[in-house]
This record gives sequence, C-alpha cells and structure tokens, in this order.
Amino acid sequence: MAELDKIRQFLAAEGILMSFHGPFRHSIIEELGKAVRKHLETETVRKSAMADVFSVFIEAAQNVSNYAKRKDWEEAERARVQNGILVIGRQGEAYQIRCGNFIHPRDAGPLLARLDHLATLDAAGLKALYKKQLHAEVPPEGTGAGLGLIRMARTASQPLCYAIAEGQGGLDFFSLTVTL
Amino acid sequence: MTLAKLDNLMVAATSSSPEVHGDEAAGSLSLQGESYPENSFEFFRPILTWVADFLERDGRALTVDLRLTYLNTSSIKCMMDLLDAMEDAHKAGRAVSLNWYYDQENDRALDLAEEFREDLTLPFHTLPVSPPSNFIA
Repeated sequence: MAELDKIRQFLAAEGILMSFHGPFRHSIIEELGKAVRKHLETETVRKSAMADVFSVFIEAAQNVSNYAKRKDWEEAERARVQNGILVIGRQGEAYQIRCGNFIHPRDAGPLLARLDHLATLDAAGLKALYKKQLHAEVPPEGTGAGLGLIRMARTASQPLCYAIAEGQGGLDFFSLTVTL
Repeated sequence: MTLAKLDNLMVAATSSSPEVHGDEAAGSLSLQGESYPENSFEFFRPILTWVADFLERDGRALTVDLRLTYLNTSSIKCMMDLLDAMEDAHKAGRAVSLNWYYDQENDRALDLAEEFREDLTLPFHTLPVSPPSNFIA
C-alpha cells in the first residue's frame, strides 16, 4: 500500500491526469478515448483544447496499434510492440501527452530522420507537408496515412520532443512528448 | 449499357465510426458521428465505391452531409479521396454539393473543414451547429 501511495504522489507531482500501460488494441483505445473526453469535460477546458488533447491521444495511440499490426513481426515481438505507455498530464495551462513503445532497431533511423525533418519546419512548412502527404498514394498494406506525426507537430505549441533508447531485449524504446 | 439499380448504403455507428446513410433515390449521402475506426481505409472503401457508383449512373445531383465530431488522420485521407471524386464530378459538370456541419465552439473543427475547402471548387458549405444537441458524443 505504501508503494501505491508513492505512485500516487509521483503522478500528482508530475501533474499526470491519466496514464495507461498495456496493449494498444482498438477496443481499449476507444474506451480510453471516451475517458479522456469525460475527464476533460470535468476540467471545463475550452472545446478546442479538448479537441487537441483528444486528437493527439488518438494519433499517438493508433500509431502504436498500427505499428504492431505490421505483417513482419514474430508473435513474441508483436506482443511487446503492442504494449505501450501513454500519459496525459497538465503543467499549468499546458497539456502534455507522452507516449512510448518498443520499435525494431531497423525502424529507429528512418523514424528519427522523419522527426528531425519535422523539427526543421515552421507552421507553413508543416502545412505544406501535410497537404502533400494528404494527396500521396498510400501503400496498399498500410493502415495509416503517414499523417499522424505531422498532425501532432501542427497541433503542438512547441516542437515535438522525442528520443529512442537503444537495445532492450533486441528492441529499442521510442518516446514522444507533445506539448499543447 | 444499363446498370443495375444502386442499393442504399446503411452502416450503423460505433464508438469510433460514423453512421452512414447513402440514399439512392434522394441522391444524398450522410455521415454522422466519430471517425477514428481501426482501419479507416476498410471503413471508407464501401462509401467511396457507393459514391463512384452513384456518379457513374444518370446525371442526378449528389448532396453530401457531414456531421463528424472527430476525424483521425487516416479518415482525413479517406475524406480527401471522397472529396476528390466529388470535385472531378463537379468539374465534369455534375451537380454535387457538400454540407459540412461543425461545432461552432470548437475552432479546430472549422479549421479542418477550411483546409479541405481551400483545395476544392465544388459547392462546399460550412455550417455552424450549436452544441449540445447530441452533436458532441
């Protein structure tokens, strides 16, 4: 029980409103999404702020679930990459969504390159990239449109914050922080 | 060549996907609810097919009504494909129009519609809706 109180104190000190650690299945994302909305309604935040938190939550969670659905996973790997952590916190007026999941080391380089590129773009550059991707062909196997990170970068009030920690049981750990 | 009559399209809403109603006789398609399905491409495929089939038949007008509270990015991509198909029909002289209803208390909802509209020339109406009126799920 003392440990639970430690966790509670940590969450309170970090301004964490909601956290989830577990498999990012669609049914769970739906239920968490409802919980996010209900929670924000009680915080009486502006509709647009609520929409932003919800949008980043969905994009981040569906990125993890889509990634885990790729065909080339071995079953043990798939179970690991489907497990993620998602945390919604608030520091003063600013909401922060943090999301983490395991990725294959071969995906680390391209992902960092994409995020590094997004970091160089201003609002107009992000919009142009968004529009270009909106009209791009989607690979037939894909379940995502390649727009999630761009939308998150456009929604955020600060540049996306990201890191990849190398090698935990053959997988890397990707973490992303979006500050609204 | 005579094409078989087009069936109406009816899909019930879920927590993450909208109710869909394509009415062949009325020449209308409506989507209402949330849109962040597990696989947007699968979800939208029959909708895109229905619209293509409708536009392929006689020259009647098509009106599309959208009352969507939230679209994830893959739904936005699918919506772009739908609007591109309507835009092509419009440029070919077909009567098509779009009514996009948005929550007027949510700035983001109008921004999203406007970003679609700026790439299109078809009649595209953005219509404010006052919540609660069951609009916000």
